[in-house]
Amino acid sequence: MNFPEAAKIYENSVKILKENQHEKGGYYASPPGTRYPFIYPRDHSVDILGAIDAGLLDEAKKGLEFVLNAQKPLGEFSQRYDVDGNDASYKDLQIDGNGLVLFAMGKYFEATGASFFDEMADREFVEKYWEQVSKAVDFILMNKNEEVDLIHTINSIHEYPAYEHGFEIYANCACCAGILAAVKMGESIGKDVSEWKVEAEKIKESILTRLYSPRRRSFIKCIRVKDRNSKPIGYDAFASTVIDVDVVEYSPAYFELLSDHDVKIRSTVKRIHEKLWDKEIGGLNRYPEYWGRNNGGYGPWCHFTCQLANHYAEVDNLDMAEMYLGWVVDMAHNQMLPEHVSTIERFELWLEDYSNAKILRDSKLTMIENVRSHSKWKDGLAYVTIPLIWPHAEYIRAYRNFVNKFDNEYSFK
Amino acid sequence: MIRLKNILPKAFLFGIVEMVDISGVEKTYEWITTLGTKLAEIEGPGFEGAWEDDVNYLPICPFGNELIDFIHIHGSEIPSQFTELMNYVNRQKDESDEPWNYPALVSVLGILRHSYVTRRAKMAKAQVYNVGSKSVVNNIKVYNEEAIEKARMTKEQVSKILDRAFCVYKVEYLED
Repeated sequence: MNFPEAAKIYENSVKILKENQHEKGGYYASPPGTRYPFIYPRDHSVDILGAIDAGLLDEAKKGLEFVLNAQKPLGEFSQRYDVDGNDASYKDLQIDGNGLVLFAMGKYFEATGASFFDEMADREFVEKYWEQVSKAVDFILMNKNEEVDLIHTINSIHEYPAYEHGFEIYANCACCAGILAAVKMGESIGKDVSEWKVEAEKIKESILTRLYSPRRRSFIKCIRVKDRNSKPIGYDAFASTVIDVDVVEYSPAYFELLSDHDVKIRSTVKRIHEKLWDKEIGGLNRYPEYWGRNNGGYGPWCHFTCQLANHYAEVDNLDMAEMYLGWVVDMAHNQMLPEHVSTIERFELWLEDYSNAKILRDSKLTMIENVRSHSKWKDGLAYVTIPLIWPHAEYIRAYRNFVNKFDNEYSFK
Repeated sequence: MIRLKNILPKAFLFGIVEMVDISGVEKTYEWITTLGTKLAEIEGPGFEGAWEDDVNYLPICPFGNELIDFIHIHGSEIPSQFTELMNYVNRQKDESDEPWNYPALVSVLGILRHSYVTRRAKMAKAQVYNVGSKSVVNNIKVYNEEAIEKARMTKEQVSKILDRAFCVYKVEYLED
């Protein structure tokens, strides 16, 4: 890996994170004037996690204040907001946002105390926003199916209901981890959160059994169910399972429900690597090409590649960690990271598919123009949405983890 | 959770609450029954659901998701207007000479369902008896004892079907 360049990208990632936080606290998904100049609780929460790892605790707190104040009356966090915190959503429920906000808040709370948790942790902040925490948890539990103890959603991380409508793994792990974070915060300010704890444990148990396939030795993507309250779900119109590989099948470890060393995680990651590592240009794809929703051309995503770099660093497989993180470093352009990378051939194939099917939205035209006019196009690559803030936040986390592990490794030799 | 594209079921349920407040239970009952009947006439004769001999049943609750969602957004409580309306229908049944023609009611939406099912059955030249229903909210089973008698069934038989169903009808085809 090009270590000096990796360090420069880290520095620039921190800068990008700072520059793309609106004065009211929201992190833009991509800079104003580009593709996603809104605040998406999913991206925003990961940006907060990046800020925490970069030591930007004031910024993280500001980000949390923004999103907690934007909560809807029933406890939901919307798909996206404008910079003033007004709901600017155009999609159905994406409940992982609720889990992510709580998970990020829990991480902030831990970080404020660090080694001196009892004396230093920001309890005042948790107390101030306890009502929001409480409503966020209630909203998650409102969407729990009592038959299988899993959380129902329509969209999840890929905003793709065809594969995510039902009991989806990323949303369930995020929500479970979010409730567990709320439990920890509640306990530390003397709240009775025993019921939440019981519910979170039920969800966790269900994730580890119903969303894990022992024969495949992998977590699976989703149990498709149309209506959350179908009783019994076996009769639901969508009743089926999505067993295709998806990079977010790593979520139980990402959200710390299982250790990266757990055999279920290691075998799941093995399947992800075998099936989603891009044989032509490297990097990690998010799901199989045949799912057919490959805006900008099928190709690897920087933030998912960072997540798995983190996994390999955690399990001390530094060669693989370096291969993953090194790919991200190689793909950076002027120390900026795109959403994903494709090839000209795949880009044109996607364009043909969508044009012929008449499903190419007008909003994609700017993206197409930007991809074709980017200097990487001349190198045969399609750079889609650059910079996207999310991969910079994930890069901060992966880089720091890798460097710590790497330093430890060499200090023992 | 509320989106414009899914607002109609919630609006209908809030409509029932408002209607009871504005016009009372009697008018609300008539209004819902009329809706069920008119929709049945658009759909035409027939039955929906699974069969076991001459028993027709619904393995899933047709309005379950919408009803539970509504209760959640209504502060996790069933509106008092729903209870008033159900009490009214049950009183009507008790005072009627033909109590077997009334629904085994577990929610106000049973009024809509029953008027719809009954009308479609009638167009198919059949008489139906709603012998039992099960609540999607709390799994409580409710029976129409007179309908069970008329259908020549037992409560135990109905209960057994309700273990895997939410609404049970005995169907008798009328002779020409």
